[in-house]
Amino acid sequence: MTPAAPTRRMPRSGRINAVVRYAILIGVGFLMLYPLLWMIGGAFKPNHEIFGSIGFIPNEPTLDGVVQGWKTSTEYTFATYLLNSFQIVIPKVILTVISSLLVAYAFARFAIPGKKLLFALLIATILLPKSVLLIPQYLMFRELGWLDTFLPLYVPSAFATEGFFVFMIIQFMRSLPPELEEAAVIDGCNSLQILMYVLVPLLMPALISVALFQFMWSMNDFLGPLVYLSSVEHYPVSLALKMSIDVTEATSWNQILAMSTIALLPSLLLFFVAQRYFVEGTTTGAVKG
Amino acid sequence: MRTLLLLLALALGPTAHADEVQLRMSWWGGNDIHRTLIESVRRFEAQNPNITVRTEYTGWVGHLERLTTQIAGGTGPDVMQINWNWLVLFSRDGDGFLDLNTVGQDIDIEQFDREALAMGTIDGKLNALSTSMAARLFYFNATTFAKAGLSPPTTWDELLAAGPVFRDRLGPEYYPIDLHLQDVIALTRSWFVQRSGKPLIDEDAKRINATPQQLADMAHFYQSLVDAHVTPDVRTRASYGHVAPHEMRPWIDGRFAGTYQWISAIGKFIDTLAPGQSVVLAPYPMREGALDAGLLYRPAMMFAINAKTPHPHESALLLEFLLNDAAAIEAMELKRGVPVSRKAVERLTANGTMQGLSVDGFEQIATLPHAVIESAYFEHARVRDAFIDAFELFAYGRIDADQMGQRLHDNINRILARTIR
Repeated sequence: MTPAAPTRRMPRSGRINAVVRYAILIGVGFLMLYPLLWMIGGAFKPNHEIFGSIGFIPNEPTLDGVVQGWKTSTEYTFATYLLNSFQIVIPKVILTVISSLLVAYAFARFAIPGKKLLFALLIATILLPKSVLLIPQYLMFRELGWLDTFLPLYVPSAFATEGFFVFMIIQFMRSLPPELEEAAVIDGCNSLQILMYVLVPLLMPALISVALFQFMWSMNDFLGPLVYLSSVEHYPVSLALKMSIDVTEATSWNQILAMSTIALLPSLLLFFVAQRYFVEGTTTGAVKG
Repeated sequence: MRTLLLLLALALGPTAHADEVQLRMSWWGGNDIHRTLIESVRRFEAQNPNITVRTEYTGWVGHLERLTTQIAGGTGPDVMQINWNWLVLFSRDGDGFLDLNTVGQDIDIEQFDREALAMGTIDGKLNALSTSMAARLFYFNATTFAKAGLSPPTTWDELLAAGPVFRDRLGPEYYPIDLHLQDVIALTRSWFVQRSGKPLIDEDAKRINATPQQLADMAHFYQSLVDAHVTPDVRTRASYGHVAPHEMRPWIDGRFAGTYQWISAIGKFIDTLAPGQSVVLAPYPMREGALDAGLLYRPAMMFAINAKTPHPHESALLLEFLLNDAAAIEAMELKRGVPVSRKAVERLTANGTMQGLSVDGFEQIATLPHAVIESAYFEHARVRDAFIDAFELFAYGRIDADQMGQRLHDNINRILARTIR
């Protein structure tokens, strides 16, 4: 007779406690997720049902919204817009991470003449509203002949234009002990090697946070593509979703909800994959220790 | 022989290439409009094989920002759809868009009536052609009114009298008409202009055509609508959330049983209605001794040609096709309201398309006195915001009607003095 695995029985009060706690957690979690569930449910509702009921389970489920939404009212299918989004977002994320890292490294570890002033300028760019730059930048990109291409949307990222990310990486770097780098210098590393072999592995959580933030912001960016891209064939998802919302025509929300659900999937997947680093990254930057 | 061919090809090549014209055309719209216009443009290309048209369209949101940047950067499209009040933004002196009289041989301007042409003309230069006209009219949910045992109101007094009946017979959450602040402003303006017989904004004098006392009267009139349970007050409306009026639950299920709406937008109010209800157009209420109906009668949207286009002739051909060609007219039908072009009206009457609420609306407008044309500055963003600001403070009880009249009077005059140049 094999001994039964010892079943650790919780005391009665502990079990009740756990049941109550999980019930609350599940309840609140459900409330938080409700808008998301509603969006997914809405994708399968006929249009007139969307405003009529608050429940997310469709009474008369239909694939019409998904099919029509994917076809769109334009000459292109939604796949074109998804691909366009990735053609903008992927280079943008890569360039942002590399450039922000280099600039942050310089600010955090090197003595540069006028560093304080430059740093103040960098912080000032965070506070500057983006719409102020719109027309001057538009004119500049027109002179470069970049209008109606993806270039104006991601090339600026190669110059660490997102001051917030630079600031975030600097704060993170300040928490790292300089002794590690000194040891690397003794071992014969030059500045770039220190960055590559010593700092980058330690900074990984921060870099992943930067990449995730930039990914989400760029996916949702509306004004940039709106102004720089004039051809419909170049539109990203953020523009395509608003294409059918007019002032005189009732909006087919089921199509928009269906396509929003599809457009959300990449962000959602990426977030789940990188979640561990992301949560670590946003918190470790905040606490010095 | 081969060299000869090569030379021939070289000689012909560039000329054949020079005939090829590429136009850019922009518009905003919804699904139906996109499909229809793309289709029409393709037909235009088939008729004019040397012209290709790049269509650049978006939804309504952001279209003005985009067009502003493009025009400021000198990269505007050749043919563009504009809103009537954008004329004062882009073409104060009439030089912002191509004077369509200069391409008169390509466009049949005779198809457009004088009134519509006048609204697209600045300093004698025809800047834009209207596709259709619009005005705000009164629409009521006939189903709810029947439940209340009333027929839709035909006068201001009947409208005021309907409020208490709705409250007593149907319940306090039922109202004869739903007005959000912008509707309130338009409605009280109409009520005021019926007596004054002048546009509310005097563009030449750069002043508002009303005394502070008269503006206070507009506020009082709105208050009387709220007090008589004709329209929900701002707090009640706000409790339903920040939602477009046609997507508000009480509109959908018929508890808010009316709207003072653009003739071009009523379609979407009907589309969102829960099944089994019907909307009717009501006679326009007139005050005793009214000089004018005080309609906000203006082009629903217009087409203009870029002043700097290298291809004015081809752009004009495209415009002519979209507004006056049978194929384009039959594709567009009444999707953008009753067209202005006479040819289009004839065509649609002949094939039986000319019916429905929008057609009824136009018949109503034709019977109403509507000589007073409101200035486009009434819809200028700054003027509109000043109106909303003042009415909002009043509606929430932060200022009284007299303070509101004075404030609105001073603010609008200040804005007009700065904006009209």
